[in-house]
Amino acid sequence: MKTRDVFGYSFSAIKLRKLRAGLTILGVVIGIAAIVALLSITQGLQNTITLQLEKGLAADTLIVTSGRGFLGGGVGMGGGFGGGDSDFRLMINDTATINALSPDIETSVAVIQRSVQIKSADRLVTLNIVGVDFAQYAGIYSSTFVTDNGTISLNPENDTVVIGKLLNDPWKNGTLLFNVNDDVKIIWTNSTARPPKDETYTGHIAAVLKEIGGFNIGGPSDTGVYIPISQAQSFFGTEESDMIIVKLKNSDNATITAVSRAITRYFSYEVSVVSSSYVLGLLSSVFSIIELFLAGIAAISLLVAGIGIMNIMIVSLIERTREIGILKALGMKSRTVLLIFLGESVIIGLIGAVIGIALGWGLANIVAIVFSGGGPFQGIGGNQAATPIGNGGMTITPVLTPTVLIGALAFGIGVSVIFALYPAWRASKLKPVEALRYE
Amino acid sequence: MMPMAPVVEAIDLKKTYMLGKVPVQALRDANLRVESGEFLAILGPSGSGKSTMLNLIGALDKPTEGKLLIEGVDISTLNDNQLADLRRRVGFVFQFFNLIPRLTARDNVELSMSIAGMSREERRKHAEELLETVGLKDRMNHKPAELSGGEQQRVAIARALANSPRFLLMDEPTGNIDSKTASEMMRLIKRLNEEKGVTIIMVTHDQRLAREAKRIVQMFDGVITSDVMN
Repeated sequence: MKTRDVFGYSFSAIKLRKLRAGLTILGVVIGIAAIVALLSITQGLQNTITLQLEKGLAADTLIVTSGRGFLGGGVGMGGGFGGGDSDFRLMINDTATINALSPDIETSVAVIQRSVQIKSADRLVTLNIVGVDFAQYAGIYSSTFVTDNGTISLNPENDTVVIGKLLNDPWKNGTLLFNVNDDVKIIWTNSTARPPKDETYTGHIAAVLKEIGGFNIGGPSDTGVYIPISQAQSFFGTEESDMIIVKLKNSDNATITAVSRAITRYFSYEVSVVSSSYVLGLLSSVFSIIELFLAGIAAISLLVAGIGIMNIMIVSLIERTREIGILKALGMKSRTVLLIFLGESVIIGLIGAVIGIALGWGLANIVAIVFSGGGPFQGIGGNQAATPIGNGGMTITPVLTPTVLIGALAFGIGVSVIFALYPAWRASKLKPVEALRYE
Repeated sequence: MMPMAPVVEAIDLKKTYMLGKVPVQALRDANLRVESGEFLAILGPSGSGKSTMLNLIGALDKPTEGKLLIEGVDISTLNDNQLADLRRRVGFVFQFFNLIPRLTARDNVELSMSIAGMSREERRKHAEELLETVGLKDRMNHKPAELSGGEQQRVAIARALANSPRFLLMDEPTGNIDSKTASEMMRLIKRLNEEKGVTIIMVTHDQRLAREAKRIVQMFDGVITSDVMN
């Protein structure tokens, strides 16, 4: 029998039981749609984050944190976690030592980060405050640590506060959260004191940064709040630095590796040095795991669909026992009977996969729109605000890679065929005389 | 000139079924020889073994013992694929017609040609010719449920003839149709035998019908009891 005729016959059998075939196909559609939607969203998210990171983490800067663990002391997230069990801490004056370590180092700046509450007359926001030397910081981030409104003094008063654009105009409609010349109360809960107590001082907003976009590690951010390092030292009562940002003279891989080694060796491997290539590599491997995990979950639903196909095929086989007997009596080979049943599963898998891919792609786009359109300050309300390190106005464009596309198609058809193998084999093994006698 | 092998030759044919745990001897040492061009009726009551004989000749089943040669080939020696190939050269007309309900008359006739690997155009043309032969050209786009018993029977005959079989096997050809249709049917079968030289082996329990054949083989209890020319 010709292949085309085999498929034609399979198709005529599917057409006869439209509702049943439709429901079976639906199972495949849901499984494939889940896989495609999850993977294309994840891929899109990875692309977005990678792009933002590349923007936020300049290739020619290194970030040094205490501790040997994963990302050291929690880069950019306020410090305090990770860091291993060592007592070693980076000090603010370690910058001078670091600068002397290699001729490839241009400069370095120490950073103190703490979670604080910032309060104006009618607003209260919890966020991370960053203490830096304004002159050095502006030297490293000359294009982003730039004022939009107000002035950044390189030799600031102790009460000077510089805020990111999103803290000034979060809704981008002129309704301002904090503005230049506002006096704000900065409240820090000192949890090392016994009992813990709130420390407070009044800051004066001197400048709002130009919009930067994205999020970043170490560098200026739209959701950042910056105070002079001397003020941070006295207010938080510390000489320790949460991280030291090192600016290199060039971004060659060799330089990055050499300087990173020199720094870790100097601090007896008690620090971790993170470069943008390291972070991007880490991110990519984390996303691979996430993708695998999500695809695994979605694959379970496809497995359920597969069992549905098997169930339907067995019912169909029993119903069509006599028909199989007729086909065999007319001289059809067992192999052709097998192919007819497998053909049905291929058709079901193919239709299901195609619809599933389209649906999954549609879903991914809808999710992306909802996710992107939510705005950065969703949590704000009353006077207790959410930490404005939301998605920072991040947009996700779902990505459907050819691998995912072809993989989904192959997986949909593959699962259908695998689960149809047993029923198809049983059909092919029917004895013509017995099958013809079947009522 | 080499003498042609008989179309069907049964030598000491035995077939035993297991009915639960009880063996049932459906055929006991049956011997039969059918030459090309014959019109043979196998007559017997139900349980006489005639349907078993028919299934064996139709290559739907294999004998327990003895030999069954179809055109000189012992079917016991054939594997499943070879049996399938053999069945394509056998025109089987079933008692209950066994048409595929979802296919039209023409598609049912085409089916056996499609199984044999014939191209679409070729089989379409041939199916129409066959349906014309059995007088159903104007009903060829109807499905079995829309056809009368006699019409379904004729579709089944057209399908059986589709691959130019060596012989036509008919199981109770008039069992499910009325007497007027039955006599029309017999005229058709006779015409096929006389004009087109189709070998016909017909199984029936109806004596009157059997008398239409040129040769009558009587069976009883798994044994051939008489074999006479009519």
